Amino acid sequence: MTTIRRRQVMQRRERLWGLLFVTPIGLQVLLFCIVPVGIAIVAGFTNWNVIKGTYDFIGLDNFVEFLTDKKFWIAAGNTVYMLIPIPFYLFFGILFALGSHRGTPGSRIFRILFFLPYISSIVALVVMWRWLFNYQYGLVNQMLAGIGIQGPDWLGDPAWIKTTIVIMIVWKMIGITSIYVLAALKNIPEVYYEAARLDGASAIRMFFQITLPMLSPAIFFLTIVGIIGSLQTFVEVQLFTSDGGRNYSAATITYYIWQKAFVSNDLGLAFAAAFFFALVILGVTLIQFRLSRRWVYEGE
Amino acid sequence: MKKRSATVAIFAAAALVLSGCSAAQSGSGDHTITFMGWGSDQEIAVFNDMIAQYETKYPGVKVDYITVPAADFQTKLQTMIASNKTPDVFYLAPENVMPFASSGIVADLSDYVKSNTEFDVNNVWAKAIDMYRYDGTTPGKGAVYGLPKDIGPFALAYNKDLFDAAGITAPTDDAPWTWSQFEDAAKKLTTGSGDTKVYGSAPYSLESAVWSNGADWLNADHTKVTVTDPKFVEALQWVANLSLVDGVVPTSEEESSLPSFQRFLNGNVGMMGVGPWNQGGFWADAKFNWDLMPWPVSPATGEKAIWYGGIGFGVANKSADKQDASNLAAFLAFNEGAQRTNMEQGQAVPNLIDMTKNEYLKSDKAPANKQEFVNIIEDWGRRATQTYTYNSEWFTLFNSNLANVWTGQQTAQDYTKSVEKDMQDLLDKGIAEQSK
Repeated sequence: MTTIRRRQVMQRRERLWGLLFVTPIGLQVLLFCIVPVGIAIVAGFTNWNVIKGTYDFIGLDNFVEFLTDKKFWIAAGNTVYMLIPIPFYLFFGILFALGSHRGTPGSRIFRILFFLPYISSIVALVVMWRWLFNYQYGLVNQMLAGIGIQGPDWLGDPAWIKTTIVIMIVWKMIGITSIYVLAALKNIPEVYYEAARLDGASAIRMFFQITLPMLSPAIFFLTIVGIIGSLQTFVEVQLFTSDGGRNYSAATITYYIWQKAFVSNDLGLAFAAAFFFALVILGVTLIQFRLSRRWVYEGE
Repeated sequence: MKKRSATVAIFAAAALVLSGCSAAQSGSGDHTITFMGWGSDQEIAVFNDMIAQYETKYPGVKVDYITVPAADFQTKLQTMIASNKTPDVFYLAPENVMPFASSGIVADLSDYVKSNTEFDVNNVWAKAIDMYRYDGTTPGKGAVYGLPKDIGPFALAYNKDLFDAAGITAPTDDAPWTWSQFEDAAKKLTTGSGDTKVYGSAPYSLESAVWSNGADWLNADHTKVTVTDPKFVEALQWVANLSLVDGVVPTSEEESSLPSFQRFLNGNVGMMGVGPWNQGGFWADAKFNWDLMPWPVSPATGEKAIWYGGIGFGVANKSADKQDASNLAAFLAFNEGAQRTNMEQGQAVPNLIDMTKNEYLKSDKAPANKQEFVNIIEDWGRRATQTYTYNSEWFTLFNSNLANVWTGQQTAQDYTKSVEKDMQDLLDKGIAEQSK
């Protein structure tokens, strides 16, 4: 009897302590996440003017306005374009992870070198790339000139700016991708390969029947994170171009939202667009989870 | 764990800030006013020095000087306004005067201008103060909502050594070049190729070309976009052709590789528009002789035209210490010592007329023809068109794809036609906001 009661008291006390520990983080989420998001969703239905501090509810007007805005759709197209780097850095990341997995001499150095872009400040990287891709004095165009090719205006020409950004994202993401894949590789039990070898499987067969399926959860994770990251591309656009590039050629939806909020002071419209965009990302992610059942190996 | 301690830290910081605020307000006599601006390290040092002088002159007032990178300033200011924490004194751009005045954000300083002890308004360039006037309908008239930090006339500088080598004599103010004379000179100045190519001119001021050709972005009462006016189109195409046809101006791609400013400093550009704020840099880095000349004139009007700009100090209407804040704005704007420092560092033409005439014009530093700056301020300089409208998004739109004309992908006519309607829509939107 007493032991049961004591246990109850202890459980209650533990629960209290637990609550106490959770409170700060809960408050943080509430104050800095749920409340602002709530305000933003409500404000998306108003014509909030920051300077005057006035707002009226205007129903769906904001949504109509950005959905009929030419610039929004250009930005949407550009945002989809930013998905292009994902297969590239996945491919090169896996390739590199496989190469450095067996402790090839020098692989440690390469791992560090490949990882450097990911941990460097994106601002510093963009500044460096602005120099590399400078039309007249950049290293890239100077090298192209060396083999007799006149390089394009990587940063100014509307036809090239997105390509430049794509190349940069690929370069930046290879390192982190290969680290994730490497970790997953290390988790594949050696016995699978031993058994396969006993059965006389070729290296290629082992790759497609053991390695790739065992890597699929990692690849799935990288794809989801990659797509969300790509859809949110902003800093590159902001730093490589002014005003989203000529003919809005580099602007992404995130950039469009930022411009509406802080350049045009149209907070209501920006919130509406952000809300809409969040729903789209949510939808895309859910579809991916659904599709993942077909190709992600999650063990027996 | 990490996140939790971060939250605790945030709350602690918030508590500290809150308690700090209330303490400052309940304190006796001593109070703090905030001042927010941007600037180079050099400028910030000058301001810190001025603020120290101000605090000595007005004991009991402390100034909290917040500096923000120029690119973030507008965003930060708007956030502060929205959260009711407008700085007591802050940089006020001329194009913000209308929205800020009509929303009651900046204080009306008209009475202060008349009755203060910091400066005599008759000794200040009229155009410098007029940039911050607004009577409720027309900017440039009526009540004063800001005091000028500086006034920036945009003059045409030239490399005297290149001119001498090409046997060209710069024109004087009463006999400016026509456009074709300018083109001839620029062609003569353009030599060489590759990295050391010398260009006759930097990209030409579109304002000067358009205005001198008798056109403008908007009609006289700033309600209608007029960029498809043949005179406007002609001016725009003329500026573009300096690079596209004549090849005397760096191409758009070359300009983005190495801005003309740098090319001019390297001695590879013959003529370039400059402001007084460029003087210091030229004194330090230009290894050639340079001077100012009047902007060339279009054959259509024969009139000289160019813009002047500037930034001012606004005082928050909700400031608890409006008098102290106004004194600070006036002190920063007109204090003789500070004005002299700015002048001597080559940052500005003094705001004070007597100092300009007695000291600036008589100094022996380049340019020799400093009178050119003064003429623009006193005589033929104009306010940029976009500072006359409630919001200047129509102008941003015009500029955002202008490179299509500079690169020759679109003619001036096609381009202006393609943007006119969108510009008009944005302008109408601004007008609707103004009358709301």
